[in-house]
Amino acid sequence: MEYLASTILLIGIFVILAASYNLIIGYGGLNTVAHPIFFALGAYTSGLLGAATGLPAVVCVLAGVAVAMAASFVLAITTLRISGDYLLIASLGFQLGLLQLVNNVEFTGGPAGLSSIPDTFAGPGRGAIYVVICTAAAALVVWAIWRTMNGPFGRAVRAMRDDELACAALGRSLIGMKIRIFALGCGAAGLAGGIYAYYFQYISPEQFQVAQSAEILTMVVLGGIGTTLGPIVGALVLVVLPQAINFLHLPNGLVGPAQGIIFTALVILFLFLRPGGLVGTAGAGAAH
Amino acid sequence: MDPILRIDDLCKAFGGIVVADHVALSIAPGEILGLIGPNGAGKTSLFNLISGVVAPDSGKIHLEGREIDGLKLHDRARAGVARTWQHMRLFRTMTVLENMLVGPRGYPGESLLASVLGTGRVRRAETDACDRAMSILDRMGLAATAEHIVVDLPFGQQKLIGLARALMNDGRLLLLDEPMAGVEGSNYLTMQRVVHDEAAAGRAICVVEHNVGFIKDLCTTAVFMAQGRILQRGTVEELTHSRELTELYFGTAEAH
Amino acid sequence: MIEPAILLQILWTGIAMSSYFVLLTVAFALTLKVEKLWNFAQAGLMGVAFFAMFYAMNALALPTWAGIAIGLGATIAAAVALEVWAIGVLRARNSGGLTFFIFTLVFSQFAAYALTILFGTEPETIYPSVMSPVRILGGVAVSDWDLLAVATTLALMAALWAFLRFTRDGQFMIAVSDNAKLAEIYGISAKRAYVISGVIAAIFLTAGIFLYGTRAGVTPDVPLVLVLTAVIGALLGGIGRIFAAGVAAVSLGLLQSFSILFIPSKWQALLLYGVLFGALILFPRGLPAWRIWRLRRRLGPATPPAAPEPLTEAGE
Repeated sequence: MEYLASTILLIGIFVILAASYNLIIGYGGLNTVAHPIFFALGAYTSGLLGAATGLPAVVCVLAGVAVAMAASFVLAITTLRISGDYLLIASLGFQLGLLQLVNNVEFTGGPAGLSSIPDTFAGPGRGAIYVVICTAAAALVVWAIWRTMNGPFGRAVRAMRDDELACAALGRSLIGMKIRIFALGCGAAGLAGGIYAYYFQYISPEQFQVAQSAEILTMVVLGGIGTTLGPIVGALVLVVLPQAINFLHLPNGLVGPAQGIIFTALVILFLFLRPGGLVGTAGAGAAH
Repeated sequence: MDPILRIDDLCKAFGGIVVADHVALSIAPGEILGLIGPNGAGKTSLFNLISGVVAPDSGKIHLEGREIDGLKLHDRARAGVARTWQHMRLFRTMTVLENMLVGPRGYPGESLLASVLGTGRVRRAETDACDRAMSILDRMGLAATAEHIVVDLPFGQQKLIGLARALMNDGRLLLLDEPMAGVEGSNYLTMQRVVHDEAAAGRAICVVEHNVGFIKDLCTTAVFMAQGRILQRGTVEELTHSRELTELYFGTAEAH
Repeated sequence: MIEPAILLQILWTGIAMSSYFVLLTVAFALTLKVEKLWNFAQAGLMGVAFFAMFYAMNALALPTWAGIAIGLGATIAAAVALEVWAIGVLRARNSGGLTFFIFTLVFSQFAAYALTILFGTEPETIYPSVMSPVRILGGVAVSDWDLLAVATTLALMAALWAFLRFTRDGQFMIAVSDNAKLAEIYGISAKRAYVISGVIAAIFLTAGIFLYGTRAGVTPDVPLVLVLTAVIGALLGGIGRIFAAGVAAVSLGLLQSFSILFIPSKWQALLLYGVLFGALILFPRGLPAWRIWRLRRRLGPATPPAAPEPLTEAGE
């Protein structure tokens, strides 16, 4: 039962991460790889705040969202002048540097991780409560992104992705749009981080490595970049399929790498066999 | 009548390449001014300077009496500078109507929160903009294409949509970069008619074209540019009959 | 006050330690220049190279030359296969930067997982001991490893320079890196240039990871960290400038070495990422002074820097 709950929870978390990453990369055309770090900021902020102050979980998680948004603002304004490959590499530096910081300062618990996150909703129904909360959060994020991207703001964002110069020459402030996309997408990642921290009660820097951005990105691309459903399908497939290995009763040391192999092999296969994604690509321009 | 656009002493150089050399120019309401000149004369560069794609080294640009040379690209569009592009630069994953709806300046529905919540004000703005877009498309005989992805349309229609999108801005100044190149038949006539209508409605229009025939069909007045300088201003007839200019045109064009 | 002998020691050790960093950075910079590819898959190739050599020299107890030959063979084969069956396919499809990023990074992860299953997560070294005989020269301790590392690096760099300068294939590679389409019009095969640059990169990667693996332990995760530092070097050198990337790698190595005088060693990695991020923010297209110098050399002193693209819409 607990296994089922944590699997569903992971699906929900990755739906949020993939949908918000899709917002930034697929709709916004902003090629950044610094998504796991915002996930981490949400997780660490809410976890540390909860452990230190005992404030209600909701407050701590919202604080995590706020910190992730604030950090995204720093990334957005410093990298506005650059785009394409250079943004990719700058965001790589941002991701690696901040994670290195988390790794090295004392109060985060360093590489050993943070395990003093308070147990909220303790009791037999804990898993079920978290599943409901996480599913609701995922639904909210997907709904908000869907609303945004299908409204006037989303139209302007897609216009920017298609042609920045023409979009600006029609009176749209690219800077303002990029800041807002980053804030919304990274804030959602922070939300995922808060729920993750409170449910698992243990976080460590290695859960937020840069490689994870390839993982989330794969969910996005696999499902279909620039679509609403794509990230949901992608997260579902890529969380569930590697779980199959659990039923093979491999020795403990092999489960992790074997899951990794399945995951990466799936990614490579899909990349070559279904480059358009499972749902199909709405904005073909996004990936190109 | 006060001019809509007034440029004084505008200079711009990229390293050693001078693209604007003390350019002075004004365009009155209802005027359709053609820019003629060889490749590299600085015609498109002048458009880029006026619309704010590049900043001038010195000089002033006034739009309806307001100084705009310090404004950013998007703020100039909001001030009323509408332009098209030689290569159209349409939003290629979007429909014709969606392309049009990015056109209006200061669009209230584009605030992030309003967009998510979908308030009544947003819906009204959206309806108004749609109506306006459809009426512009209708004037061009393109209403039926509204839901098509824009890059699926023939080239001539894409050119028209480039103009239509700029018209959504409703600015007093309209800059058209090679609107006629590659446009034929009924689309050509539509383009000509719409440009003339817009001028009649009181806009100031500036056109870059390589083909002097197009300039004759479109413009009331013209200037001749070479090496970032304005050499002569007059009617299209006067300019095309000036022997030294035609020699310069083809002579320099060869050298390029 | 720090004694000069200590400074000298740090300088020498810093230079020696930056040798493999130079090799890995040059490998990365070369594919970036010729193929316009941020090839994170080089981490996977490093893993292949290291564990092939490790297996040959330990489990099979082969001599060093045979181990290196096997490592080279395996890495070159993997690099060529990668180029022909994967990257070439993506390129033919006109895939975007993001697709290449995912593929190359995920390939490296795949290699890391596979190597973990085969070899475990314990750090391994090529020889059982990472110590090598030391002699004192002018108050500075110089080990055999230091000399081997510096000599190997210098020799490979000289060979690469000569290859690019004097051979037809080297010239063709430069032509392709300048403008692949134009080069093809002149009958130069871009594909061939890509494969050759992949092979050269494989040689550099093998040499680099050999030096690293005779000095420190390697786990399947290490190559990815190494390739990320190579990215920083390649970027700071200015994209398209292979040898400047090598110099940047040495500078970064020295910066790290000397930083132990001022900051705790655990912050050294952060220093690197800080330099990367800062450099990108300040100079979004590489360091400006070097760019101008490059333009001058290409165009001759009288011509101005190229005009920005929006001017003529030539970028379209």
